[in-house]
Amino acid sequence: MTARPLLTVDTGNPTPPYEQLRRQLAELIQSAALAPGDRLPPLRQLAADLGLAVGTVARAYRELESAGLVSSRRGGGTRVSATAPSLSDSERQQLLRSHARTFVQQATLLGADEQQILDTIAQALAT
Amino acid sequence: MEGVLVLVTGACLATVVAVAAWLVHARSPGTVTVRGAAVPAAAARRTASFRLAGVIAGLAAGAAAAGQGALGRGPLLAGPVFGLCVLAGVAAGEISVRPAAGPTRTAAVEVRRVRDYLPRGLAAAVTAAAAVLAALIAVTTVTAGPDDLGRAGRVLLLSCQAGLQQTYGPWPGSFYSVPLAAVVAAGLIAGGGALRVVIRRARTGADAAAVAADDALRRRAARTITGACGILVALPLAGVCLVSAGALLSISCHPAWWTYAGWALLALLISAVALMGWCAAVLLAPARAATAAPPAR
Repeated sequence: MTARPLLTVDTGNPTPPYEQLRRQLAELIQSAALAPGDRLPPLRQLAADLGLAVGTVARAYRELESAGLVSSRRGGGTRVSATAPSLSDSERQQLLRSHARTFVQQATLLGADEQQILDTIAQALAT
Repeated sequence: MEGVLVLVTGACLATVVAVAAWLVHARSPGTVTVRGAAVPAAAARRTASFRLAGVIAGLAAGAAAAGQGALGRGPLLAGPVFGLCVLAGVAAGEISVRPAAGPTRTAAVEVRRVRDYLPRGLAAAVTAAAAVLAALIAVTTVTAGPDDLGRAGRVLLLSCQAGLQQTYGPWPGSFYSVPLAAVVAAGLIAGGGALRVVIRRARTGADAAAVAADDALRRRAARTITGACGILVALPLAGVCLVSAGALLSISCHPAWWTYAGWALLALLISAVALMGWCAAVLLAPARAATAAPPAR
């Protein structure tokens, strides 16, 4: 069984919650973690799980729909579009390196050395 | 008057149970085991307490309803009234479950569906019983006639010979079936609403252990709701079967097939009583949840 992708919203982050959600969902779709036809959680369910207003989640879904990543159908929920653009291998590598750089920068700011950073990644992979 | 007293006493008792549970368990530390999953004690006990409060209120309201209503309408409505109170208790308990607080919130990309949490066997039995009840009261409503005081849909009429009629009452005609259908329909709609509350409420956490615990709580709630709907349907079904069978077998000039129909209704009565027993067991020990598939993505 594949692990279910997780969405995280930090209410202390200056980026609005709807944008945090939009960005994460867009990445999941473009990286094919969410395949065409996969259904996104219902608005009210996701809003309750994240402790957000329904309108916040609705705005994130609207933005994704405008970008052609998802399509909504009355009674059928919101699904990943069949025509959603996916990342090429090189784009995927580039995104992975970007995330790795961000992680290393933050870990360095916390005072972690190279071995601690590698150990932490190994731990995260093991869980 | 006596019914009102029972209702007020039961409602007070249920309120005391719910409030006491809230105060005592709201901050209970640790976990308890529900169907093999370690569930936060506060959430597990709070939902269980609301469910118990619903059962107590339901027993009181059912007893009060049984004592009210003209010409046997009260006992017929006692089951649905009991079921409605249990559903309200379960829904209140689920609404009381709060998501993990804090500035950083995490949720899985998943679609929770009612069928992932329903106990399949029990749900199928309750659905079948509801269909049988609907069909049975449709037939009894069509075949009923007015009683000697002109009250429509209260007796079974049979013309034995020219100018000679035999009647038998009570018969579940419109006098009984209309309020019964209204209350059962309201109860089943409330059951659907309570299931939506169970599915839609926030998760208590996003890691694998928290999700397993949360799913165990939801299955327990869905099982209780199904059990309450079962009582809501099976009790009036048993009553309608008993009264109808009594009428069919009592009229002396009845056609031969009425005897078979009467015995078939008595067999159905046994099935309805068995379903009531199953549902009662579920309400008393809902943690023995049926295994269900995990939510879909």
